[in-house]
Amino acid sequence: MTDQTPDASQDALGRRLASQLPRHRAPAHLRAAVLRTAGRSAATGRRAAVLASVATAMVVTLLFVALLPKSAPTDPLELLIRAVVAEHSRTVMWGARTVLNAVEESGIGLARQFDGDDRLTFVNAEPVYIMRRRGVALHYRDQDGHLITYVVLPGQGVPVPDRKRVQVDRFRPALLRDDGFATFMWRQGELVCLLVSDMVSPTDIENFKQYFVRVRTATEPFPAY
Amino acid sequence: MTEADFRHQALAHLDALYNFALYLGRNPAEADDLVQETYLRAFRFETRFQPGTHLRAWLFQILRNTFLTFYRIREREAAVAEDGVPDWDVPMFHDAPEDTGGVMEVHTDLERALHRLPEEFRTVLLLAEVEGLPLEDVARVMSCPVGTVKSRIFRAKERLRTLLKDYEKT
Repeated sequence: MTDQTPDASQDALGRRLASQLPRHRAPAHLRAAVLRTAGRSAATGRRAAVLASVATAMVVTLLFVALLPKSAPTDPLELLIRAVVAEHSRTVMWGARTVLNAVEESGIGLARQFDGDDRLTFVNAEPVYIMRRRGVALHYRDQDGHLITYVVLPGQGVPVPDRKRVQVDRFRPALLRDDGFATFMWRQGELVCLLVSDMVSPTDIENFKQYFVRVRTATEPFPAY
Repeated sequence: MTEADFRHQALAHLDALYNFALYLGRNPAEADDLVQETYLRAFRFETRFQPGTHLRAWLFQILRNTFLTFYRIREREAAVAEDGVPDWDVPMFHDAPEDTGGVMEVHTDLERALHRLPEEFRTVLLLAEVEGLPLEDVARVMSCPVGTVKSRIFRAKERLRTLLKDYEKT
């Protein structure tokens, strides 16, 4: 094999796939099920035109409703994300408060925490009160000047939306976007953790994912109340 | 083409679609569901099929799109544990894990190596080399240019060859 040219070797592999890869025939029960489907479809086909016109009317109606002005969000998750983003924005605008005993005041303990590294510098920690939940926020700044806010809150009744989950290293946090901010959300035991930044471009998101891994792996919060 | 002709011709590709679904999803039960869903959609939208184009490619396209949209979401959700850490890796656009978890019996190194390829590499090899579809049809199924198909075939074979060499060593 090694004396073959790349083209010949590629062709040989193609032939091997065609001739040696086992082919699986559809089982009998599947064949029967598909035949039944074909029969049903034929019977319902004539009704399709009528249904299509009704469906079109429904779509037009739904579009109209969707285009109506939106009111404030009522979804608790969306409200929480907006509140956390607002907390992050406040820090960007006014800076983090200097609270030395933030953890003690927050009701959240940290068995260990990310203290920064060559990419992220730890800025400060402060207690927060978000959506009637007492928690703690840790702020970091990266080499490009982005502020990254890590928030931990009691997690009762806060589901992490499965459809928003993304694979980041060995974790699957939800990645949520709101008004120019990106937020990673995940659970650690009874707590819900959020990492917020204004890093939203594809390149920034990749960096943000790395920051998430650093914070996620090095920080272990626990309820201290 | 009459409705009956269309259905008759579509059903002639059942074995090929099942084989493709099995290699795509790696699970016989899901392959069943995937093929049934493909036929359901094909019969429902048969008026969208353009006579003169390849029915076989059109059916493969429906199957793959169904797989990517429906199964990806479902498997991702199922793979997520409560703490956000996946119970197992669900291969889709990433290399598959070595362990197939017993979902489909694998008898040959070729099958095992194929299972470890990313979905877009597996698909391109199955369609072009195993099913013998013209590159233009493969491009249509995968919604990409023919040049991309050629490049993927090349890279897929390189990856496959490396995996096969690894198996030969062990």
